[in-house]
Amino acid sequence: MDRREFLRQVALWSAGLSVSVPHFRIGAALAAESQPSLLASATGKDYQELVDRVLGPLGGMGKFVRRGDKVVVKPNIGWDRNPGQAANTHPQVVRALVEQALDAGAGEVLVFDRTCNEERRCYVNSGMEDALAGIKDNRLKFFHPDERKYVPVDIERGKAVSRLEIYRDALEADSYINVPVAKHHGLSRLTLGLKNSMGVLGGNRGAMHHNLGQKLADLATVIRPRLTVIDATRILLNNGPQGGDLGDVRVLDTLVASVDPVAADAYATTLFGLKPEEIESTVAAYGMGLGEMDLTKIRIIKA
Amino acid sequence: MNNKKRIPAYYWRRASQLVCLALFFFLFIRTDYSGRDKIEYAVNILFRIDPLLALSASVAAGFFIVLMLPAVVTLLLTLILGRFFCGWFCPMGTLLDGCHTMASPQGQGRERRYRSLKFYLLGFLLVGAWFGLPLAGYVDPFSILVRSLALAVDPALNALATTFFTFTYQQAPAWVNGLTEPLYTFLKATILPFNQKYYDLTVLSLVILLVVFLLERLERRFFCRNVCPLGALLAVTARFSLLRGRAGAKCGNCRNCRDVCRMGAIDEERNISPLDCNLCLDCIHHCPGNKISFQFSGIHKNRPTFALSRRSFVGSLALGAALPFFLKSRTLARQADPLLIRPPGALPEEEFIGRCVRCGECMKVCIGNGLQPAFLQGGLEGMFSPILKARTGYCEYNCTLCGQVCPSGAIRKLALKEKKKEKIGNACFDRNRCLPYAKGIPCMVCEEHCPTPDKAIKFREVVVENSRGEKVSVKQPYLVDELCVGCGICETKCPLPGVSAVIVTSAGESRNPAQALPDTGNTGYP
Repeated sequence: MDRREFLRQVALWSAGLSVSVPHFRIGAALAAESQPSLLASATGKDYQELVDRVLGPLGGMGKFVRRGDKVVVKPNIGWDRNPGQAANTHPQVVRALVEQALDAGAGEVLVFDRTCNEERRCYVNSGMEDALAGIKDNRLKFFHPDERKYVPVDIERGKAVSRLEIYRDALEADSYINVPVAKHHGLSRLTLGLKNSMGVLGGNRGAMHHNLGQKLADLATVIRPRLTVIDATRILLNNGPQGGDLGDVRVLDTLVASVDPVAADAYATTLFGLKPEEIESTVAAYGMGLGEMDLTKIRIIKA
Repeated sequence: MNNKKRIPAYYWRRASQLVCLALFFFLFIRTDYSGRDKIEYAVNILFRIDPLLALSASVAAGFFIVLMLPAVVTLLLTLILGRFFCGWFCPMGTLLDGCHTMASPQGQGRERRYRSLKFYLLGFLLVGAWFGLPLAGYVDPFSILVRSLALAVDPALNALATTFFTFTYQQAPAWVNGLTEPLYTFLKATILPFNQKYYDLTVLSLVILLVVFLLERLERRFFCRNVCPLGALLAVTARFSLLRGRAGAKCGNCRNCRDVCRMGAIDEERNISPLDCNLCLDCIHHCPGNKISFQFSGIHKNRPTFALSRRSFVGSLALGAALPFFLKSRTLARQADPLLIRPPGALPEEEFIGRCVRCGECMKVCIGNGLQPAFLQGGLEGMFSPILKARTGYCEYNCTLCGQVCPSGAIRKLALKEKKKEKIGNACFDRNRCLPYAKGIPCMVCEEHCPTPDKAIKFREVVVENSRGEKVSVKQPYLVDELCVGCGICETKCPLPGVSAVIVTSAGESRNPAQALPDTGNTGYP
């Protein structure tokens, strides 16, 4: 099943022309990349510049966004919390990534998240609305997900979940850039890149929590970011994923970027003093061959 | 307001009606989160200029509610102008006028039989409010209108639009979508609500509104002439009004004025009763001899009588005084319904229900879709008052909108800081259903969503035997009463089908000390 065929299925299903649920199988070649995973980490106060710096070792934005691409930049905007409270991705980081994608010649850049608190409050209080309003480019589309555009997808390689409703734009994106914020989470200990992909799911997402680690890995077989940038400019150490108490926030001024979503999560885990093996989704995704979690096998570059 | 040569006088009245109606719809749509924590328009002004609600709520409260001061202006203007409010302003009246073609041809109706009904109703409502049975909001025209629009019409309109545009999105060719999608975007940005809301009592709300409209079949403005207690209060005031219509002495007895009068205010001798006349000015236009004029005159000696039956009027007052005592012997009087969870800032129940005008503004504005009209949870007299139904929606932690739109202060306007300290209920877990307890399955969605900075829902990690007999380690949630504000997001988001495994009740609500929870020794709010 190649990507083109998959997109055709999504289009047919959306248009009501097909009742068979789209399904997507990743080729073995894609899953078993032999090169060591490359990961960049950078620290600095100027987040605009920091984004530039952390992408440097990976080849810059041009490596991930080609002219005319449909780009999805997927931050975490899940909570009605302000930027200082570390519950959502920092708006300046998102803004910088969007600008870079636009500069790289993207056909359009879509930014959205399915929120947990009321949609508009999250978009406003996360600072995202203000930050993105500053970009005057009609290729940028910052919107609330449209209920009509969730497409059921059969997760062929799924071990714990066989079907999920996924937002159409996320499936159709040429370049999907995942921009989670690194923070504490009661059930999974941390929420990082793989967990952030839940923002493109429709339906009853709470059911994901029953065997969350494996289900996130299953989701990762379909939602495959070309680039993961983990926002650790400030991290939430407790009372996550929502926070609200500034005493639980630690400022690290750090960004982590990698093509390998598992490697990005594995490395970001160490920022909390934890080991990659302690995060179930990392272990499960590694087990499915979706990426590297062994820090000794990841080429880590301090940019 | 005199008889202009070129522009007929009633044009001004129509213009006023249309402007007021447009303003009404504008404020209705703006009764929503706008991207700021504060509502920018006085969206509740309609209810604050309503003297019936102001009087009823004040009588129930035992003092004048300052928030409703604008209602005094309405009464003062009525003292001068008569029932202009009904003819020139009232959006319900305008909508009724708009569909007057519904009225049957013979329906000009000079039937006076029901005319006094509204006065009996007014007496009953005010006496009832005093003795503890506040029902004005049931029949107030603004309450009926806004409530029905908010609970029934608006959500239905959105459902219709969604259905239509989903159909075009899925089935129509691309060129059709090129037209419909921008239209949908435009409608969403303007008149449609931000998202689909779901309400209890939708059909009942709609039926009440429809009945008001269907009564037009009997005669024009049937509701205004015979039922509307606000109209009754204005009529009582208009009895002393200075602006009066009068027909000239010599007229040809054509009776055009009587036929055209939408309020049935003109009698056989062409006297225009200020109790009924709503100054629509149609009669001026239809009088072939230009005999009718509206003029200010001094204090009137001969005031029109109400033509009430003393026995009926006293009876309705007695009913208003007696009925409340039947409420005191219900089980509800002894034990409040634990699911009667009031919005944050709600006054203690008796004061709350006295002041609540059942306008539906708080339910319209509730962005979590948590506030629902009560059915019988608060007794018959509590119908349409707001309660939090946490399975449908929840109280957004950082939101204070309901207190901002409440026109009578039944829900106090709270600063965010105060609101966060307001406990409206308490969550409790049903361990027979909650997955980590009952099945050994990990879940913790409730804990994830719990919004207090120090989470009220915490967990213990324990080893249990799951339903397959395996020993597994799971996190089991528990509640810290002192931290829980009763927002209900845990109940809304509980991923179990059907009944939630975590349920919020009014136990521990801060407005009622009698509901205090046992002291657990936790320090509570930091």
